[in-house]
Amino acid sequence: MDWRQLWEIVSAPDNVPIVGLIPLLIFYIYLAWKQAKANDDLIAELETNPAMAKTHHRKTWPFRPGWQKEVHVWPFLLRIEFLAAMIVSIVLMVWSITLSAPLEEPSNPNLTMNPAKAPWYFLGLQEMLVYFDPWIAGVVMPTLIIIGLMAIPYIDTNPLGSGYYTWKQRKFSIGTFLFGFIVLWVAMIIIGTFIRGPGWQWFWPGQTWDHNRLIYEVNRDLPDLFGITSNLAKAIFGAIVVGGFYVIGGFIMHALFRRYNPKDYKRMSLLQYSIMMFFVLSMVALPAKMLLRLAWHIKYVWITPWFNV
Amino acid sequence: MPEQPVPEQDPIVTKSYALHYVVAMVLLMITLFWALWDESFGQRPWKAFQQQWKDRYTAFLKTAKSTSAQSEKQVEQNPDYQQLQQTYEQAYQQAKPRRDELQKQITDLSAKILAVQNVFTDKRAYANALTYEIETDPSASGKDSKKKDLADYKQKVWTVEYPDGHKEKYNYAQLEEKYNELKDERTRISAELGDVLKPVTEANTKMSTYIADHMVDLTPTQIDGLRKKTEEWDPKIVQINVADANIVDRCESCHMGVREPIKITPAVMMARGEKKPDEYAQAFVSHTEPELLQIHDPDKFGCSPCHQGNGRATTSVEKAHGNYEHWLWPLFAKENVQAGCQTCHAADMVLASGGTEWQTINDGKDLFRQRGCVGCHRYEGYDKEPEDLNSVSQQIKQLEQQKTQNAKVGADLMKQADAAASNDEANQLNEQAVALRVVNSKLDGRIQQLDFQSHSLMQDMKKVGPNLKDVRLKLNKNWIPVWLKKPTDFRPTTKMPNFRLNDHQIQAISAYLWQSAFTDSLPKQKPGNAEHGKELFESRGCLACHSIGEGDQIQGGTFAANLTRVGEKANYDYLVRWIHNARERTRPYCPYEKKDIGPEDYAKKGLPYQFDLQHSQCPNDGHELQVQNMTVMPSLRLSPEDAQDVASYLLTQKKQEPSSYADASFMDDSKLKDEGKKWIRHFGCAGCHEISGFEDEGRIGTELTYEGSKPIERLDFALFTETAQRGGKNAEPITNPEDLQRLPEGPAKSEWYDHKGFFEHKLAEPEVYDKGKIKSETEALRMPNVHLSADQIRALTTLLLGSQETSLPASYQYKPGDSRRDIQEGWWIVKKYNCMGCHQFIPGQRTTLMGMKRYQDIQEQLPPKLLTEGARVDPEWLRRFLSNPSLSTTDTNRNGVRPYLQVRMPTFSFSDNELRKLVRFFQALSQQPIPYIPEQVPTLTSKESDMARSLFSSTAAPCLKCHATGDPQHDKIATAPNFLLARERLKPDWVERWIVDPQAISPGTSMPSGLFKKENNQWVFAGPTPPSFQGYNQDHTKLLVNYIFQLTPEEQRRVAASMGRSSASISPARPGRHAQVTPSNSAAGSGGSR
Repeated sequence: MDWRQLWEIVSAPDNVPIVGLIPLLIFYIYLAWKQAKANDDLIAELETNPAMAKTHHRKTWPFRPGWQKEVHVWPFLLRIEFLAAMIVSIVLMVWSITLSAPLEEPSNPNLTMNPAKAPWYFLGLQEMLVYFDPWIAGVVMPTLIIIGLMAIPYIDTNPLGSGYYTWKQRKFSIGTFLFGFIVLWVAMIIIGTFIRGPGWQWFWPGQTWDHNRLIYEVNRDLPDLFGITSNLAKAIFGAIVVGGFYVIGGFIMHALFRRYNPKDYKRMSLLQYSIMMFFVLSMVALPAKMLLRLAWHIKYVWITPWFNV
Repeated sequence: MPEQPVPEQDPIVTKSYALHYVVAMVLLMITLFWALWDESFGQRPWKAFQQQWKDRYTAFLKTAKSTSAQSEKQVEQNPDYQQLQQTYEQAYQQAKPRRDELQKQITDLSAKILAVQNVFTDKRAYANALTYEIETDPSASGKDSKKKDLADYKQKVWTVEYPDGHKEKYNYAQLEEKYNELKDERTRISAELGDVLKPVTEANTKMSTYIADHMVDLTPTQIDGLRKKTEEWDPKIVQINVADANIVDRCESCHMGVREPIKITPAVMMARGEKKPDEYAQAFVSHTEPELLQIHDPDKFGCSPCHQGNGRATTSVEKAHGNYEHWLWPLFAKENVQAGCQTCHAADMVLASGGTEWQTINDGKDLFRQRGCVGCHRYEGYDKEPEDLNSVSQQIKQLEQQKTQNAKVGADLMKQADAAASNDEANQLNEQAVALRVVNSKLDGRIQQLDFQSHSLMQDMKKVGPNLKDVRLKLNKNWIPVWLKKPTDFRPTTKMPNFRLNDHQIQAISAYLWQSAFTDSLPKQKPGNAEHGKELFESRGCLACHSIGEGDQIQGGTFAANLTRVGEKANYDYLVRWIHNARERTRPYCPYEKKDIGPEDYAKKGLPYQFDLQHSQCPNDGHELQVQNMTVMPSLRLSPEDAQDVASYLLTQKKQEPSSYADASFMDDSKLKDEGKKWIRHFGCAGCHEISGFEDEGRIGTELTYEGSKPIERLDFALFTETAQRGGKNAEPITNPEDLQRLPEGPAKSEWYDHKGFFEHKLAEPEVYDKGKIKSETEALRMPNVHLSADQIRALTTLLLGSQETSLPASYQYKPGDSRRDIQEGWWIVKKYNCMGCHQFIPGQRTTLMGMKRYQDIQEQLPPKLLTEGARVDPEWLRRFLSNPSLSTTDTNRNGVRPYLQVRMPTFSFSDNELRKLVRFFQALSQQPIPYIPEQVPTLTSKESDMARSLFSSTAAPCLKCHATGDPQHDKIATAPNFLLARERLKPDWVERWIVDPQAISPGTSMPSGLFKKENNQWVFAGPTPPSFQGYNQDHTKLLVNYIFQLTPEEQRRVAASMGRSSASISPARPGRHAQVTPSNSAAGSGGSR
């Protein structure tokens, strides 16, 4: 166990946000979960007692007469937000005093740094380059992410859960968010920061980042495994596999969604539903591809002269 | 989680955040102040430095002032000063009444001017503004009306109230007139005041100049000035900004004492009560080499071009010194600080300023050549000859092609001309053909020049190691494999590095060398007298380069091989030839055909088998041959018998019998030859040795010209990358105790992941970066262990650290175009042939011979010092002397100028190129103009001749007592050159300076000082002069010099005879040791002749 190496990575000023991110993320998920649980309990209670529901003050405390059901933003919300703003200011100021931005050596076109890492918030995108060709990972995927995020308000027909934490009323949307943000985005940033060393090789935490390390790894394309050699056949084969993923995955997802979210399913139009399916399947495709690459060294599934997937 | 009690009131509405706000507020305020503090002090640590500087420097100046005041008082005691003071007092008293009067007038006038000025400037401003409006008014009518306004305004009358209270009225013109009048008056009176005070200020200046001139340190006034400046100092960034070179150096923001005119050491800068100088005290010292700052004005050069570091950074010491990961040019460590010189002075071989040699970097530069680093590593400026030779032969080839081409075209043109339709056309074509022929003749001239060039270059080309084509003739066969195993075992001080060869490689290499060597036979030599050989070896100067003895007994120079065990390896016949003339080659080599030319080639053309510098053309193709051994070893012009004696002596130098070496008959195994060739190529043996079949072999190592600026990532620390980066207990990879000793800073205890660490480890144990790696024979690092000492490694590391591709403009590189360039080029030659082993070039420089016991009591037997050689001798004579130091074509077994010296000036057979460079070097070193125009010496009248002769033969300074005369009897005890050489050899003005004060020119010379003294602006002889000198008002020195320059052999003989040339009566015991001429001394010295 190379503690020093670990410390060097953790203590680099560049990585401070990510080191901070981990406990903060855990804490806020815990907090949200705790509040959601209390709210869900309250909802359950009020559903069984319609009389109480009319007068209840909508707080997780037991009913007290005279407590207000609604309060004004000013001062009751803003005073807390302002306090938060002050605390954040303090943190930012202390941070900027104690840790200066790392200014590196003058650029030298003859010598690139190794590992050359993107700023921390882009490390997830950079990590994606391992699994897709630059066109897919650098252009298509980010575009899909942005469009997908923009589409959410139009797909999400669930009127519940606005203004309070809840799990029971929004299982699917919260689950999708946790998967997409925590597992895919944050996890990939963490991989990019702590795992990827010189040569973008995979170093487990505590392994020395040796610039001279040599590993034996051969990546193959999926068509090669099946002995397909002609380019056309590769393209067709890849299209079938990818198409198959969307079709079969689509059926499985459809069955699951109908079973666990019948209300949402009923509310959605065909257009809304198919768009949602496309994005969800594309999102699942990323970890699937990562698995293929990391576990079986499969580089590409679908090879065409224009793009590779 | 424990159940919280339910609040009675609605918490959203009733909960108070007062405490939260108070805490957050307090914290916010604290961070705010923290941020402010950080901004003004935390990020600006130099402010603390400047505060400390003010305190400590003022305190120091206070103490400095009291000592300075004391010494000033002493100076003031001086009668000269007293007199100056009196003059000052007188002048002051004289000027005082008039001064007071004038000053009063000026004061009055100034008050008046002020009164007028107040009114006048106001009115003038109004008038000017109005004028501007007139000028810019677009309409003619507007202009007119405004002009009228202006005229009216100027007619108005204003009142001026003078200081004495009376008032006057003026209009505009009058006001202006009055104002100018008053000002003129004041100027006039001020000028008068200046005149009145002139003697006073002059006397005052004289006084202060006197004090400044007579005090070693600063005067109290100067110190007060410094103190005032320091006390009034406001903290600010001190910055040198040289826009042209992109230099921004803020070093002096902390290092405030660097350029102070007073010497500051860390000790005097310690805060009160401290025991050791802290970081402030260390930072405030003045520059250790103020002299360097004078040559390199910091306002032009900044700091970082020499010292490196991050000149712009001001936020912390580490940042400013560049000692952090991302700064590529960290401050040079103290011990390697001279690396900075190399960044601009790469073209210099020797760096000296004033009287100081910069030892570390000079050693590095020297070692790089001497130890054969150049054999494998190209370095701009080193070993240029092969490259130059290459380009010259390329040019020759091109020109020859062009010639053939021209000849063809010419012939073609002639043919066309024959067939031409008209006469005119034929003539034109003919003319073209003729023109081409002229071009070809020009080309011939150019080719001839290039041939001379290549002749010179071929002569200049040297190898670090011996010619291995001669191994069969030269060496004990069985000794070769033993030597290759580990050269230092046989000869610890050898230049030959240890190559870590395995037995098989040794066998293969020695087999190739043996089988590819010449098999010619050598003339048999008669055995010599070893006893006499020893005497010759020790006295002729062999030890200036070679050493003998081992361990503590070692004697002699390090430039060439230690000869202690030479008897075990050398062949007598070869050794005799070598000692007689080391340059004599067994066979000449033709680089054009790439083969060694033998007698058969000469015989084919019916030519005699003769090759030397005059016969250096290939019999087969006429190209220049390599006719000399590529060694710097000169010929000492020993007679063949002497050479035999020396060789016989050297053969006695052995620890074991040559026959006791194990049989190495495998060297005749032809199967090994090819493999041997492979290994010779692999290890780059041909970098230092001439080896058959490897004449054109390139260098195998990496180029080092810019090694210091290679990114650290390109330096392969191999498995020690992490170790070097982290330091700690196991930071040191070298385990071999012998190699550990070589590390200049000792075994690494902390991180050494930098250029310095890499170079030092690589030089201490070149294979260290192979440790732990699994590599085949051919992949393993090839660099041999050059077995350097820690100091040598430090010097080489310094050189490599400074080997940088600098970002400074080219004008910062020291590449002068004038005579300083001659100095630059000359040093390369001086170092190449180890001239400094015998001669002193820089005051204070020690020669090898100076350090030897043999010369401790007979300093006058040392080779002459060359401190002012360029001023001393005629350059044309010098060229002749250097090409043949015996100054004779027949009697060469002698010194031409100083036959009385045992030690011999050898014949280096310099090429024309090097002769030219050397002569110019000496000229430039003594700031002599080029070309040299000899000074005419006036012919003496017979009276003057008589007078001069009386000086020349004076008993007080009998010149011929020490100077050689050509009389063999006398020359045995002579300790100075013959006067007859003077006319051709010396420059008269130098001789005059010499006889006046030889000690100033060549400290320690046996030529006596004080022969002449200055009397009434005239140099007169210090001893008694005959009556004929009465009334002679010329310099006696000039007279004597003129006489010497007109001295004829007959005259000299006459004088010698008249002096009662009784060499027997003059004691030969160190006649030169009398330093001063005193009457008693001279009487004793010439007692015999009276």
